[in-house]
Amino acid sequence: MPELPDLNPVVHGKLRLALLTLLTGVEEAEFTWLREKTGATDGNLGAQLLKLEEAGYVAVEKKFVERKPQSLYRMTDSGRAALSEYVQALRQLLGAAI
Amino acid sequence: MNDVTQDLELTGRLTLIEKMIAEGRRTTTKWGWSAVLWGVAFYVAIAWSSGMFGGAIWGQHYMAWPVTMVATWLLNWGLAARMRRGAKAPMTTVARAIISIWAAMGFSMFALLFPLGLSGRADQQVCVAAVATLLGTANAASGMLLKWKAQIACAVVWWLASAASLFGTAMQSLIAFLVAIFFCQIVFGIYAMICESREQRRQGAIHA
Repeated sequence: MPELPDLNPVVHGKLRLALLTLLTGVEEAEFTWLREKTGATDGNLGAQLLKLEEAGYVAVEKKFVERKPQSLYRMTDSGRAALSEYVQALRQLLGAAI
Repeated sequence: MNDVTQDLELTGRLTLIEKMIAEGRRTTTKWGWSAVLWGVAFYVAIAWSSGMFGGAIWGQHYMAWPVTMVATWLLNWGLAARMRRGAKAPMTTVARAIISIWAAMGFSMFALLFPLGLSGRADQQVCVAAVATLLGTANAASGMLLKWKAQIACAVVWWLASAASLFGTAMQSLIAFLVAIFFCQIVFGIYAMICESREQRRQGAIHA
């Protein structure tokens, strides 16, 4: 029997997975847009984005637009690779179930 | 955790991925109003050019298509810019691809119809066929990109209208064009707006 792959725990978190998937489809996204799409609270969203940033999966750029702070998030190459590996592992684990 | 629970948990993750990817489609369905706007503009241009309106300005039939199309383009651009500013939505790769398809279609239509009109070689049936084919191409490309059967069906209707325009009489060509506008711009646009409104209501929160 072939060995089943492990799922990356950083990607596996529900909100983190949603964030990574959302970021694959955009060039960059504002914190407020990610909050709107996921429906998460500011605190939870900030904490999960920080985990992704620490893992090197997302990069953040903080700037001021019309004197208001703005955080722009974009996916890094390693984030893209991690998500791709995660999806492959998921499909392998589910096998015939999907 | 038993195997069934784990399978459900993992399937839930796949569903979540699909849901987030579907955001690309939501970006497109927000453009339903634009399809309706262009449908109405086509009807106005046809009515104006066929002399259905009276008055000094409306009497200038040769101005019907250029004026209506430029005015609609400006209105579409203004409303879209306002909508994007309000939503603070980022540019998605899918949205960029779809905007590129429709922009290229618009430029191609202008590049074809403007010289056709100026050269005096414009024939109503050929023009309807060209416009319908170009609209069919753009609908098919974005329908395939989004895997959206309704939009692919619109492409087929446009292509059928194009063929009907060339094989039928001038009146049949006009009728085919009017019917295609009704289904592919007005009905499809309203359907897209309904999808968008349903999707907005369905959205819920995701927790860590």
